[in-house]
Amino acid sequence: MIRYFARRLAFALVLVIGVSSATLMLTRLAPGDFITESLGTGASQQTIAQQRARYGLDKSIGAQYRDWIAGAARLDLGYSMQYGRPVRDLIPERAANTAILAITALLFATLIGLPLGVITGSRRGGAMAGAIRAASLVLLSMPPLLTSLFLVFLAARTGWLPISGMRSATVPAGGALIDLLRHLVVPAAAIALPLAAMLERLQAQAMSEVIRAPFVLATLARGVPQSRVLWRGALKAALRPVAGVYGLVIGSLLSGSFAVEVITAWPGLGSLMLQALRTRDIYLVAGCAGAGALFLACGTLVSDVALAAVDPRVSEMRTERA
Amino acid sequence: MCRQLFLAAVAAICTIAGAACGSNTTSNATTAGASRSGIPRGGELLVSVRSEPRSFNRHAARDTTTSLVSNLTQSRLVRVNQATQAVEPLLAESWTTEDQGRQLTLSLRRDVVFSDGHPFTADDVLFAFESVYDEKTGSVLADSLQEGGKKLQVSATDPYTVVVTFPAAFAPGIRLLDSLPILPRHKLEGALKAGTFRKAWSLDTQPAEIVGLGPFLLSEYQPGQRLVFTRNPKYFAKAPDGGALPYLDRVVAEIIPDQSAELLRLESGQLDMMTSEISPEAYAPLKRAADEGRVKLLDLGVSRNADAFWFNLKPGAFGEDPRAGWLQRDELRRAISMAVDRKLFADTVFFGAGVPVYGPETPANKIWYWPGLPQTPHDAAAAKQLLASIGLSDRNNDGMLEDAQNRPARFTLLTQKGRPNLERGAAVIRDELKKIGLTVDVAALDAGAVIDQLLHAKYEALYFNADKSDLDPGTNPDFWFSFGSAHMWNLEEKAPVTDWEKKIDELMARQIATLDEAKRKTIYNDVQKIFYEHQPIVYFVAPRIYVAHSSRVMNLTPSEYRPQLFWRPETVAVVH
Amino acid sequence: MTRDVGAALVALALVAAGAAPIVAPHAPDSHFSQLLNAPPTIVRLVDAGGRWHAPFIYPWRLVNQLEQRYEEDRSTIAPLAWFSGGKLLRSSNDEAPLLLLGADNYGRDVFTRLIFGARTSLALAIASAFGAMFIGVSLGAAAGFSGGAVDEVLMRATDFVMVLPAIYVALALRSVLPLVLTPGQVFALLAAIFAIVGAPFVARGVRAIVRSERRLDYAAAAEALGASDARLLVRHLIPAARGFIAVQITLLVPAFIIAEATLSYVGLGFPDAVASWGTMLHDASTNIRVFADFPWLLSPAAAMFLVVLGVNLALQDAGTVVFAESGEPRRGVKSGS
Repeated sequence: MIRYFARRLAFALVLVIGVSSATLMLTRLAPGDFITESLGTGASQQTIAQQRARYGLDKSIGAQYRDWIAGAARLDLGYSMQYGRPVRDLIPERAANTAILAITALLFATLIGLPLGVITGSRRGGAMAGAIRAASLVLLSMPPLLTSLFLVFLAARTGWLPISGMRSATVPAGGALIDLLRHLVVPAAAIALPLAAMLERLQAQAMSEVIRAPFVLATLARGVPQSRVLWRGALKAALRPVAGVYGLVIGSLLSGSFAVEVITAWPGLGSLMLQALRTRDIYLVAGCAGAGALFLACGTLVSDVALAAVDPRVSEMRTERA
Repeated sequence: MCRQLFLAAVAAICTIAGAACGSNTTSNATTAGASRSGIPRGGELLVSVRSEPRSFNRHAARDTTTSLVSNLTQSRLVRVNQATQAVEPLLAESWTTEDQGRQLTLSLRRDVVFSDGHPFTADDVLFAFESVYDEKTGSVLADSLQEGGKKLQVSATDPYTVVVTFPAAFAPGIRLLDSLPILPRHKLEGALKAGTFRKAWSLDTQPAEIVGLGPFLLSEYQPGQRLVFTRNPKYFAKAPDGGALPYLDRVVAEIIPDQSAELLRLESGQLDMMTSEISPEAYAPLKRAADEGRVKLLDLGVSRNADAFWFNLKPGAFGEDPRAGWLQRDELRRAISMAVDRKLFADTVFFGAGVPVYGPETPANKIWYWPGLPQTPHDAAAAKQLLASIGLSDRNNDGMLEDAQNRPARFTLLTQKGRPNLERGAAVIRDELKKIGLTVDVAALDAGAVIDQLLHAKYEALYFNADKSDLDPGTNPDFWFSFGSAHMWNLEEKAPVTDWEKKIDELMARQIATLDEAKRKTIYNDVQKIFYEHQPIVYFVAPRIYVAHSSRVMNLTPSEYRPQLFWRPETVAVVH
Repeated sequence: MTRDVGAALVALALVAAGAAPIVAPHAPDSHFSQLLNAPPTIVRLVDAGGRWHAPFIYPWRLVNQLEQRYEEDRSTIAPLAWFSGGKLLRSSNDEAPLLLLGADNYGRDVFTRLIFGARTSLALAIASAFGAMFIGVSLGAAAGFSGGAVDEVLMRATDFVMVLPAIYVALALRSVLPLVLTPGQVFALLAAIFAIVGAPFVARGVRAIVRSERRLDYAAAAEALGASDARLLVRHLIPAARGFIAVQITLLVPAFIIAEATLSYVGLGFPDAVASWGTMLHDASTNIRVFADFPWLLSPAAAMFLVVLGVNLALQDAGTVVFAESGEPRRGVKSGS
C-alpha cells in the first residue's frame, strides 16, 4: 500500500517536471516572445535586445532550461515577466479561486448528472428519459464559450445575479460569503451544466449495461424491491466507468476552464494560463502547466482509489496475480 | 397654519435643491472650463479595464491599465488637451521658449505637495528625467523623451524653475513632456541609485507606498479583480469655482477581460463607463439602452488612426522568389489602392460608420490633415492597367493574373487573429483584389507571432495598425524617418533605400526644426504628397468612434483618443 | 423505432453534407455586403395583397446600417426556383438572395455555410473520433490486459498527453509550419492532433473495463479453453467496452468540432473561406447580440445537437427494458448484442 502510494507520488513528480519542461520548451519555440508582445511595434532593435537581456531571454534554450530547473529544485519557479511577481505567489492565489469554482461545479454536476443518468439508463423509454437525454445532448453541443455567454446574458437580463467578477467592490449587507455565492452561480453553472450532461451520458450507458446483467435479474427474482436493486446494487457496479474518468474531470477542472473564467471575469488559473500563452510569459506558462499536471496526478489517484472502492475485484493496491 | 408653513418650507427647500442639482445633464459635454457650480462632489465611478496592470511603475510597463494607474495617481508638467490639442499647464504654471525653441524654461507651481505631504520642487523634475534616461532601468518611456535619438538636457535654476534644452531646434517641443510622469524623488531615489528602479513599485507594492501628485490615490489592488482609487485630498488643482478637485470620491477600475460582459454590465447599470471605444456590433444594443435613458451614447467623430496595409519593402526580403520583381513595386500598391472600394470597406467592416482615407492622416487631425490631398479613385480598370505595366496580366484567360512566366499573381496577407476589424478588413481586401485577378491568402496569427514576423521581415504583406499617439507628426520620427524603428515597411534602414524616402527624411527633418507653424504645415503637405505618390502604406478607412457611459456620469470632456472619456479624470463627476 | 430515427438523422446529415453544392443555394464564399446579419428570408405563399403565389420571398432592405435593421421590401416578389442553376432551391432574383437561416456578419448565407460546414466539421470529427478510438482502444486494452509495467507505462504516457495543453503544442507547431496551409493539410493536422488528444479518455475507460472483465469467469473460461490473448481481447473484452466507446464517440464528436475553433485561435485553423461549425459558433459567441437579435447564427449548435442525437439513438443497444415504467420487471433479457 505504502509502496503503491510512493510509486504514484514519484510518478506525479516526474509528470509535473515533464509537463512544465515541455511547455517551457514549446513556448520558446513559439513565434515571438514576451518582448515582442509587450513592446509592440515601434521598438528599436537595440531596445529589444536590451530588454531581452534584462529578462534573460537572450540565453539559449538549453541554458534557460538549466537555470529554470536549478531554480525549481529550490522551489523558485521564476518570475512572471508580465506581472513582475514570483510565479510561486501567483499560482496558488489563482488556483485557490479556481478550486472554489471547480469544487462547486463538480458538486452540482455530480448531484445532478449521476442520478439523472441512473434514471435515463434504467428506463429505456419514457418521455422524461428522452427529455433528459435531449437536454444533455444540447448542453454537449454548445461550446463552453457560448454556454457562459448565455448564462451571463441571462444574468444581465433578469438582474438577479451579478454579471461578472468574483466579489463585489464593496461588501454588501448580506456578508462576504453570500456575496461570493451569488457571484459563483453563473460561472459554476456554466461549468457544471455541460459536465452534468457528460456524467449523465456516461452513467446512463453504464447503467443500461449493468441492469441487463444476470445478477440484477436474480436479485429482482428474489423479491428485493426494484428501487433498492437499482440504487444499491446496480449503481455500485455502474459507477465503474464514471469512477474511471472522475479523476480526470477533477484534474481538468482544477486547471481551470479559460472560456468560462474569461467571460465571467473569474480570476482563476485558466485565464492566467491563457494570458501567459498570449504574452509568452515562459516561467508562468511552465508554472501553470506544472500545476495542471499536479492536479491531474492527484485526480487520477483519486480516480483509481474510487475505482478500487466501487469494484474491489480490481484493487491494484493489493498484490496482483501474475 | 403650522402645517401650511411647514409645507411651504418643504416646497421651498425642494425647489432650491432641485435648481442646484438638476441643471447640468448634457449628452455632449462642452468646455469643462466654464464655471458650473452645479457639479456634484463625491460619489463613486465604476470604470472597466481589459487587463491587469503589469506594474504600478510607468517606466516598467506600457500597457493601458498601467497607463491608467499612472494617469490617476501621478501628474505631469503639462498636458495635451485631447479635445482641443492645446498644451495646458499642469505642474508647470507657465513656460517660455528661447533660442529658436532649443531652450524651454518652465515655471513650476508653488505650494504643491505629494500625497504624503512632501513638497514638490524642481528636484523632482530632475529626478523624473534622470529615471527616464537611466541605462540600468531601460524605461519604456525613454524613446519618447528623446529628440533625434539624443537625450534632453535638464537643469534647475531655482527650486521652482526648470530649464529643458533640446539638442536641436524642435518644434513640437513641450508636447513631449505630456508623457513624463513626475515621480516622488524622496520615495524612489534609493531604488534608482541601487539600480533596482525598474523593480520598484511592482504589483507587490503596498498601495500606501505609491505616492504621487495625481488626483487619486491607489487604495487597493485585488489581483485579477479590481483596482480601487480614492480621492487625493492634497491634489493641487482646483475647480473653476475654487472648490477642491477631483469631484469624485472613489474610482473603481474593474478588470473585465471580455468585451461582451463589459457591454452587458454597462447596459444593465453595473458599470459607468469603459476606457475604450465600443465595437460596431455593440452599437445597436447600446442605442436601445440609450433610447430608454439608461446610458448615453456619444459619437466622437473619426478616429485619428486607420488600419494600415503594407508590403515588405526590405531589399532582398524575397530572395530568390521570382515574385520579388513585382511585389515591391509602387504600381502594385497604387493599383491595390484603386481596386479596393472604400465605401464597401466601410460598410462591411464598420457597418458604414467609417470615413475613406487616402493617406496617413485622417480628418480627425484638424491641424495636420490636408484636404487637398488627391483621393485615389475607385477604378478597377485603371488598376488592371497599372498591373499590366509591371508584367501582370491574364495570359491564360482564367480570370486571374499571371506574370511573364505564367506563374499566378498571388501573395500572403498576414493579420492579427482576434481583432474583428483587422480580420474583416483583410477579408474585404482579399475579395476586392480577387475581382482584379490578384489572389490573396489571408493568414491570421496571434499578436506576438505577427510582431515577430514584422521584426524579422519575414512577411509578404501585412494588415495591421501603425497607430500614432500624438497628432503632431514631429512626435512620430520613428515612423517617418527611414532609420526609424516604426518605419513599418522597412524597419531601421541604415540609409534610405529609395529617393523618395530620402526626400521624406529631409523634409521631416526640416518640419521638426522649423518653428513657423504655417511653414511646418506646407512642408508636411509635401510629405503627404510624396507618401501618396508612392503609397508605402495603403490606408482604406478610418472608423468613427462611439463611446457610451451611464446616465449618472457628467462633466466629461470627450475626445476620440483613448481613454476617450477619462483622459482628464479629475473633472469627471457623477450624480449620486 | 428510435434507432431508426437516429440512423435517419445521421443519414440526413451525411447526405446533406455530401450533396452540399446542390443543396446549398449559394457558393460557400459568396457574400452580400448589403445584407450583413440579415434575418432569415421568410418563405411565403400569400403576398401582402392576399394573392396566392408559388413560394416566394421578399427581399431585405436595409433600414439602419449601423444598427443593422432590415425590413421586407414588399414591393418586389422574388419567386423561388427549384432545380435551377445546379441548385436544389434558390431565389430567381439575384438581388434578393434566399437566406433560409439569415446571413452572418460578413454577409454570407448561414444555411450555405451550415451545409458546407457539415462537410468539414463532420469529416474532421469522424476522422478524429476514429483515430482517437483506434489509438485509445489499443492502448487501453493493452494496458488493461497486461497489467504491471506495461499498464503503468501506458497509463502514465496517456496522463502526460492529457495534461499537456494542446494549445501550446499547436502554437509551437505554428512556427515550424509554413504560413499558409491548404485546407487538406489543415484537416490532416487537426485530425492527427485531435486523435492524439482524445485517445487518453478512451484509453482510460477501456482499460478500466478490460481490467475488470479480465477477472470475470467467462474470461478465465475462455483462456482455459485455449483462447489466445488476442482472441480474448478482440472477441470478448473489447466488445464489453463497446457501450463505453459508443458514449465516448457522442462526447468526443461535438468536443472536436468545438475544439477546431480553439486551435484556430493560434492560427491552426481552416482559412476563412472554408466553413466549419466550430468557427461559425465561435464567431457567433463573440457577437453580444446573438441571443437577443441574431439567434440564427447559433444554428450550427442545433445542427450538432441533431447529429449527436442521431448518433446517440442509432448506437444504443436494442436491449429489452428491464425496469418497465410500471415498475414490474420483465422477462426475456437478451445478452448485449
